[in-house]
Amino acid sequence: MSAETQSPSLPRIALTFATISSTAFGGGQKASVRQAVLTHGWMDRERFMDGLEISQVLPGPNILNLALYCGQRARGIPGAIAAFIGASVPPFIIVLIAGALYFKYASNPFVHGALRGCAVGALGLTVGNALELTWDERSDWLRILLVVVTGLVVSLLHMPLLLVLVIFGGIGIVHEYLRTRKKADG
Amino acid sequence: MDNAGSTVLHLLWVFAQLSVLGFGGGKGIIPQMHADATRYGWVTSDQFSQFYTIGKLVPGPTTIFAALIGYSAMPARPYIGAAVATIGMFVPSSLIMVAFDSLWDRFQASPWRSILSRGLTPAIVGLVWSSVWTISRGTTVLTLPPGSLGMLVSLGVVAVVMLLMLRTKLSTPLLILLAGGVGVVALR
Repeated sequence: MSAETQSPSLPRIALTFATISSTAFGGGQKASVRQAVLTHGWMDRERFMDGLEISQVLPGPNILNLALYCGQRARGIPGAIAAFIGASVPPFIIVLIAGALYFKYASNPFVHGALRGCAVGALGLTVGNALELTWDERSDWLRILLVVVTGLVVSLLHMPLLLVLVIFGGIGIVHEYLRTRKKADG
Repeated sequence: MDNAGSTVLHLLWVFAQLSVLGFGGGKGIIPQMHADATRYGWVTSDQFSQFYTIGKLVPGPTTIFAALIGYSAMPARPYIGAAVATIGMFVPSSLIMVAFDSLWDRFQASPWRSILSRGLTPAIVGLVWSSVWTISRGTTVLTLPPGSLGMLVSLGVVAVVMLLMLRTKLSTPLLILLAGGVGVVALR
């Protein structure tokens, strides 16, 4: 029945991403978008997978980029605007409520302890994330070396982000380009 | 221009730069964001780590915690500061995304798509390791005296949360809240 793709209305787009952005965390967000978009026939699967890739390559939060892509593919620029509003306003309001509570209660000793504990927890998650991402690079020693050197240079020398991306991102891109060429020739 | 006006422009400028450099979903911008936000006196290192934590605790993109930095940067008009920082953080990258949409189809079969994204990845991962250092500076792992009970408890929580994240399917907010429970008891 939904083999034909059908355009959602603008409020529908905003509401879909508002629901996802105010309930889903981390990787669960992409799965939710996928389900919403494919089951309602906004676009076919191939198009969606394409959008998933683009949203990860370009700068910006993956979930917001994916929302923009889906909104734009479904309804053009107005669709992208509806998706932007849906994907960014609810998290903004939620984080503001959290922030207002933070500034009101952070000096309470129990809240203070909880916040310190939560921050340590978030640090543990970041370490785990860094390990996972590094493990994915294990097949190529030069990529591992780039990870280590970038980490050290940024931490110890406070190299500006733009320079880091140009130098170390640049080396990575050249390396990847040469690898692809070698594979094509061989 | 009055003080609030110049802070508004300053917030916009700083977060817009972070926005357009936010490759890899924005995972790599934390060290630069910390450097800017502390240099201009918008937040302390402790606050930065706690705002980052709130960003991970709430649904949606982690980088929404830019709103809290804006909130803190403009004490007299916190909601304006929060809105401006969020616009700076999200709008520029969104404009790039929308502008690229039509261009992208032309690169459909181009190998450059994967060369660019795979090529940038090691630098992003290095930046994530640097974020570990950045965030730890505002936590009790480094702010308490080395060898103190609180510092050791903090290190233990880091290790346990990391293992639970890698080995179980427990959700991000649940793990953070569990660590918060330990904090109420041991890190007051």
